[in-house]
Amino acid sequence: MLLKDTFRSALRGVTVNANRSMLTMLGIIIGVGSVVLMSSVGQSMQGVILGQISSLGPKSMVIFPGQQEGGPNSVSTGHDSFTFEDLRELEQLKTITDIAPVIFITGTVSYGHEEGSPQVFGVRANFFRNQNIVAKTGRLIESDDNDGAKAVAVLAPDAVQKFFGSIDPLGKRIKIGDRHYTIIGTTKALGSQFFQNADNRIYVPFNVARDVTGQKFLNYATMQATESFDLAFDDVKTLLRRRHGIDNPTDDQKKDDFVVRSSAQAGQILGSVSLGLTLFITTIAAISLLVGGIGIMNIMLVSVTERTGEIGLRKALGARRIDILLQFLVESVLLTLIGGIIGIVGGVFIAFLIAGIAKYFLATYLFAVSFQSIVASFLMAALTGIIFGISPARHAAMLHPIEALRYE
Amino acid sequence: MSTTPLIETKALYKSYENDGVLTPVLFDINLKIRRGEFVSIMGPSGSGKSTLMHILGFLDGHTSGDYLFQGEPTKSLSDDDLARIRATRVSFVFQAFNLLPRTTVLENVLLPLLYHPTIPVSEREKRALEAIAIVGLTDRKDYLSNQLSGGQKQRVAIARALVTNPDLIFADEPTGNLDSASGTAVMQVLQKLNKQGHTIILVTHERTTAEHAERILHIKDGRIMSDSKDFKRVMAGEKDALK
Repeated sequence: MLLKDTFRSALRGVTVNANRSMLTMLGIIIGVGSVVLMSSVGQSMQGVILGQISSLGPKSMVIFPGQQEGGPNSVSTGHDSFTFEDLRELEQLKTITDIAPVIFITGTVSYGHEEGSPQVFGVRANFFRNQNIVAKTGRLIESDDNDGAKAVAVLAPDAVQKFFGSIDPLGKRIKIGDRHYTIIGTTKALGSQFFQNADNRIYVPFNVARDVTGQKFLNYATMQATESFDLAFDDVKTLLRRRHGIDNPTDDQKKDDFVVRSSAQAGQILGSVSLGLTLFITTIAAISLLVGGIGIMNIMLVSVTERTGEIGLRKALGARRIDILLQFLVESVLLTLIGGIIGIVGGVFIAFLIAGIAKYFLATYLFAVSFQSIVASFLMAALTGIIFGISPARHAAMLHPIEALRYE
Repeated sequence: MSTTPLIETKALYKSYENDGVLTPVLFDINLKIRRGEFVSIMGPSGSGKSTLMHILGFLDGHTSGDYLFQGEPTKSLSDDDLARIRATRVSFVFQAFNLLPRTTVLENVLLPLLYHPTIPVSEREKRALEAIAIVGLTDRKDYLSNQLSGGQKQRVAIARALVTNPDLIFADEPTGNLDSASGTAVMQVLQKLNKQGHTIILVTHERTTAEHAERILHIKDGRIMSDSKDFKRVMAGEKDALK
C-alpha cells in the first residue's frame, strides 16, 4: 500500500466520525495549548524582567542596609546602618561612580481633595541617570534644586494620573506631609521594577528629604561600577565592614549589615527562575500529554473494535499486517497532530489576549511566542500519537481475517 | 491452454483447536477446479463449506494434506504471501456485502486496488469505473453505500471483486440477504462474468441457488458427498422472462 493511500485511509478514519475525533483530540488540544500558553507567558515575563535589567545596565549596583536573608535582621530599607559617613567614604572609591543615595519620605500626599500615598523618593540628579529615567514633560531634579533644597517635585505617570488626571500638573503645588512642593516635571513610564510598580512615585531633592525627615541614614543607594561589579563589590564590602566594625574573614555575607546587589546577579536569579519555569512547564506538558495520549489509546482501541469488520474486509482484499498497522498508527498520529495544531493556535490566541490585557498592568509586557516551543509541542504531539497509537494499531494488525470478518 | 487445474486439493484436512480440544472440520477433501468453471459448494450450516472456501481463498490455512494453486503448493506461504495472493489472484463477495459505510460506490470499488502491488495509480479509476459499468451501476457511482438497496450493494461488492481481474471469485451466500428479484439480478451478473471467462466458486446452503452453477459439490459433515454436473442448470432471469 502506498504511503499516500495509507494517509488517505487514515484521514478517512478521522473524518468519518468527526465528533468523536474532536472529543478524542480534546486532551491533546488542552495539553498542547496550555504548554504553548504558559511558555509564551513565561517568555513575556522574562522579557519584562530582562528589559528592566538591561535598562539598568550591566554595571548597575544597589546597596541596601540590613542583613541577607537568613541573618538575624533581613534586608530592609528601613534599617539605620547605612549612614551619610558611609556615603562620603564610598564616594572616594575609584571602583564605583555616580552614587545616588535615596531617602524616603513617608506621609500622605494630597492635591485638592485627592489624597494618596505614592512612594516619595529624595534623590539627586544622578539617580535618574542610574535608573534610566527620562523626563516626559518639564524637567527632572537638577543639582541646583538639591543644593538649594528647593521644594520641587517630579511625578511619575501613575502619580500624575492619580492626582491630576488629564490636567497638566506642571507648576501646580502638591502637598507631601505638611509641606507644599511645586511640580517641575513628569517622567516617562518605567513599568515595574522587580514586581514593584516604579510609576507610582514622586521624586523630590535629596537634601529636602534629608531635612524633612531628619534622617541620619540612607534608605538605599544606587551606583555604577567603573570597571567590573566584582572589583566594586570587594571594595564596598571591605569599606563598609571596616566602618561598621564587622570582623568577617570568611566572607560570610550573612554577618554583614548591608547587602550589595547588581543587575548581573538579578540576571542569574532570573536564569534560575526561568529554569524552574521550564521544568514546571515540561512537567505539565508531560502530564497533560500522558492524559491526552491515554484518551487517544482508549478511543483507538474502541475504534479498532468497532471497525473489526472493516479490518477483516481489508485483509480479505489483500491488506498485509503492516498496511493495517500503518493505517491505524497514522490515524492516531493524525489525531494528535490535528489536536496539536488546534492546541497551538488556541494557546497562541489566548497568550495574545493575555498580552493585550497585561499591557494595562505591565507597560513593558510584550506578546512573545517562541518558535522552539511550537515545534517542540508539535513533535511531542506526534510522538504521543505514535506511542499511544502503536498498541491499538498492533491489535488491529494482528486480527485474524476470518475472525475479523465474522465479528459483529 | 494449460491442463493444470486452477485449484487442486489432495487429502485436505482441517481441524481447529480450542482450549486443547481438537475439532475436525474437513476430512479428506480431494477436488479439482479448472479455470473458467462455475462451481457451487453446497451444504447445510456447519457442514464445513465456509471453512473450505476460506482455505481455498487463502484466508485460512489447512492442517494437513495439500492445496495446489495453479500447480504450486501453498502450505509454506507466509502471511504476507497469502495477503499478496488475496490482493492479486482471488476475491470475495460476502453475504453481508461488507461495504465501507459512509463511503461512495466508486471509493468502495477502488479499495482493493490500494493493496494491489502492480496496478498503477493512474489506472485505478478507469478500472473501477469499468467494473461499476459491468454491474450496471454507473449512474450510482457517487452514491454513498448506505443510500443503496441490498441488491445494488451486492452488485457493488461484485464490482469490487472484479476490479483486480482475479483468477478466482468466491461468492459466499451472495443472495442470502436479498429478495428474490435482487438475488436473480446478482446471479445474472455472476453467470455473465462466468461466461466472460471468470472462474467462480459459489458457497450456498440452498439447492436453487447452487443450481445456477454448472457443477455442484455437495458437502456434509466435512466431507464431499457428491460432485455432480447432472442437474438442470438454472439460468438467472430466464424463468422470469418466460412468465
